[in-house]
Amino acid sequence: MEAAARGRPGGGLYLHVPFCGATCSYCHFARTAAHDAPLRRRLVAGMIQELALRRERCAALAAGRRPLATAYVGGGTPSQLEPELLAELLAGTVATLSVAPDLELTVEANPETLTADAAAVWRNAGVNRVSLGIQSLDHRVLQLLGRRCDPATARRALALACRVFARVSADWILGPGLRRDRLLAELDEALDLGIEHLSLYILELHTGTPLAAAVAAGRVRMPADQQTERLYLDCCEHLAQRGLVHYEVSNFARPGGESRHNRAYWAGVPYLGLGPAASGYWGRRRYTNLTEIADYLAAVEVGRVPEADIDPLDRRARRLERVILSLRTAAGLAREQLPPHALDLARGERAGLWTLVGDRLRLTDRGWLQLDALEGQLAAALG
Amino acid sequence: MENTRNFCIIAHIDHGKSTLADRLLEYTGTLSGKDLKEQVLDSMDLEKERGITIKSHPIRMDYRRPGGEAFVLNLIDTPGHVDFHYEVSRSLAACEGALLVVDAVQGVQAQTINNLYLALEHNLEIIPVINKIDLAAARTEYVTEQFVDLLGCDPDEILLVSAKQGTGVRELLEAICNRVAPPQGDPEAPAKALIFDSVFDPYIGAVAYVRMFAGRFKHRDWIRLYRGGATFEVQELGWFRLARVAQKTLSAGEVGYLATGAKDVRNIRVGDTITLRDRPCAEALPGYAVAKPMVFSGLYPTNNDDYDDLLDALQKLQLNDASLTWEKETSAALGFGFRCGFLGLLHMEIVQERLEREYDLDLICTLPNVEYEVVDKLGNVSLVENPALLPTEREIKEIREPIVHAAVLTPKEYVGAIIQITLERRGVQTKMVYLDPERVSLEFDLPLSELVVDYYDKLKSVSRGYASLDYEYRRHQADDLVRLDLLINGDPVDALTCIVHRDNAYSWGLKLCQKLKELIPRQMFQVAIQAAVGTRVLARTSVKPFRKNVTAKCYGGDITRKRKLLEKQKEGKKRMKQVGSVEIPQEAFLAVLRVER
Repeated sequence: MEAAARGRPGGGLYLHVPFCGATCSYCHFARTAAHDAPLRRRLVAGMIQELALRRERCAALAAGRRPLATAYVGGGTPSQLEPELLAELLAGTVATLSVAPDLELTVEANPETLTADAAAVWRNAGVNRVSLGIQSLDHRVLQLLGRRCDPATARRALALACRVFARVSADWILGPGLRRDRLLAELDEALDLGIEHLSLYILELHTGTPLAAAVAAGRVRMPADQQTERLYLDCCEHLAQRGLVHYEVSNFARPGGESRHNRAYWAGVPYLGLGPAASGYWGRRRYTNLTEIADYLAAVEVGRVPEADIDPLDRRARRLERVILSLRTAAGLAREQLPPHALDLARGERAGLWTLVGDRLRLTDRGWLQLDALEGQLAAALG
Repeated sequence: MENTRNFCIIAHIDHGKSTLADRLLEYTGTLSGKDLKEQVLDSMDLEKERGITIKSHPIRMDYRRPGGEAFVLNLIDTPGHVDFHYEVSRSLAACEGALLVVDAVQGVQAQTINNLYLALEHNLEIIPVINKIDLAAARTEYVTEQFVDLLGCDPDEILLVSAKQGTGVRELLEAICNRVAPPQGDPEAPAKALIFDSVFDPYIGAVAYVRMFAGRFKHRDWIRLYRGGATFEVQELGWFRLARVAQKTLSAGEVGYLATGAKDVRNIRVGDTITLRDRPCAEALPGYAVAKPMVFSGLYPTNNDDYDDLLDALQKLQLNDASLTWEKETSAALGFGFRCGFLGLLHMEIVQERLEREYDLDLICTLPNVEYEVVDKLGNVSLVENPALLPTEREIKEIREPIVHAAVLTPKEYVGAIIQITLERRGVQTKMVYLDPERVSLEFDLPLSELVVDYYDKLKSVSRGYASLDYEYRRHQADDLVRLDLLINGDPVDALTCIVHRDNAYSWGLKLCQKLKELIPRQMFQVAIQAAVGTRVLARTSVKPFRKNVTAKCYGGDITRKRKLLEKQKEGKKRMKQVGSVEIPQEAFLAVLRVER
């Protein structure tokens, strides 16, 4: 990585903003729609405080030995923060760290909260990449997903983002109510507007969400697996034709437009996570912060690191992580890391689930559709 | 000897044998009030739970008649199930009399009749007893008629008893003293004793339960087994009370035990004759046979790590059970295990249950099967008890299977259904007799292989539990038998291979295929399931590969969660068995083994 200025690869920083304007029907992440200006200010102060606490406890962090290569503000909906408050958050965190010259700084936004003023403030604060949660440009589909946004607003936000920022990504969801041709046309429209990156997520039903209840009650019908498979494969093919690289299960980019931050997750690069429910991978262990905003604030405000859970990775865990994360990416897995006899390599290649190129096993689009099963098999074989 | 009585009790399961035995102990004062827990003689938990006696457990009672005359009563408790025919016959050979106990509600059962005939063959004095006369549903008169028909006895000779309440027990004790003949035998002749049971005791080694027919044994005598040939120095000898009580001698007419110090019971075979090494008797007692296993099943630990524990448990069980045989076996599907031979189905169930319960093992048991005689093209006969080891069709001239003679006793309304299920299982009816207007005795010749699968359960279900069954091996007989293989992606699953009649191969194969299709989870690739005889595929089906199975989103925070999920799934996978490239859940094997024909 370019930021390996003093011998160490650049680290990452993740900032979690747990606020939303409304709750989407499918969402199971840590977020709340109940917030006001004082709470938002307290949270930003708390996250800045968290970084200070972590710095006190980590010499490497204090000394800035690992320059920051990427930062990502996610949520929730970071655009729920007043633009100045977001700038303050970045100033109190990113700007205090030793930063690589080509820092990638991404902020997630919802179309309805991205205004021209906000965009300008963000850009001045150093944001150089925006990820928009579009999900669909179909009114009916947006309704099914419980999104507040309408197609016109989404289109306006896409256009605005592409005007202000050089690097724009958009999220789409493969879920209920989709039709192939219409979906491909939407993706084309977004690409034509100038986005360089697309995340295409197959919708998962999580128990406890309003969507799951609607499906259980028969009000919403989830597409058959076969249909979703078909749609996914059609999108992959179409985006490839449009010159995008399918570089991870759900991610597509124009060459060079890959999300460096997300790629670092899959490569096992250390990153700090700040904010409620944020997780981090720092000091050879994974941690997860307290989920509840109140608990989180109570901890940092008394000077306690707000971790709820620590996952000390042993050798086995590292090995399993490396296998499952590598398989998600187009780079694939080095064959020497495959547990012996875990897979019928020839048969899978014949069935079109993967290709063997040089010393690497790379999943095809079709193979990615069976990733969980494959991981299960490899995990069992790793013992 | 004049005042000694050796007798046993013949009864069907649940007809109250154990309760009656307890009552005899109580009335003779062998058992004091504080020892009085139910069914004292059934020592294994399993026996108490199932209400059946597996191992005979003798006891010596001192009885003082109302006039003051003292008697020694030796009760030899016989096993109550058809699998233990041979053991029953040896127990009977140790007695001069038998109480034939029949439940006043249920009346005479198939097995009771068979054991009665066995007792008559041994010239035992039969004392008919109707038990449970206290029950409201008791049909005392009806059962009395059955007895009169069966034994040609006078109704006055029949004793009416309620073992539960103690009614008629004194009269029964008197009848034993009055009617059963005292034992004969010359105490000065060369010693001669019949082994009617043997157990292994961790402290004193193998113990023979014996009935003395002539002469006497003393402590430290050197004894010899007539058939087995082994010699031992008597470590201890004595009588049976509730526990063993050591004595100085055992002499003609008595029932007691000899501790041999042997390390297991294999040398102390039931039916063998014991004599003195230096002064042997002229000839052995008649009727000795080695009980041969009839039913076979592969026993595999669910978790391969338990293999050594299973071996250890089998060795321990064998110390006490000379009729249990086993040899090591390897199955591609199930790993390392043992092919075990049993006397019959109940014996098999008991062993399996004891292994699981007493030794805390989790087992997979393959379909029970029988021993075939396979004749090759050159006329050589070999014995095959594992279907997976059957040679190919081309090499075989004929296959002979064991045929049993089955006797079924049933209320008349179930006759049609019973004949039907028996014919479906290739049975041939040889006899049908109305014992009385209500009850019918049916006899069949039936392949044992058909009987061991589910015949008994079916019989009970079509007769609402009223029919009873007894069976006995008759002969091996050739039939058009084929080996049916189950193939998964072309690999035969040895644990599911079976030998069936050619006419049944298709329907059985189809059922197995369908069952497997339901039970094998989707995999990365299509799984082909086939049933085949030789190279001819009779039935096929397939399990389609996975549909969409992907977590689309996996960023920082999800990595730990994802990994933990995989680690949890891994535990579940340990219970999967790998067949070729396919993972089959343990449950699939178990369920297939339970498939109904």
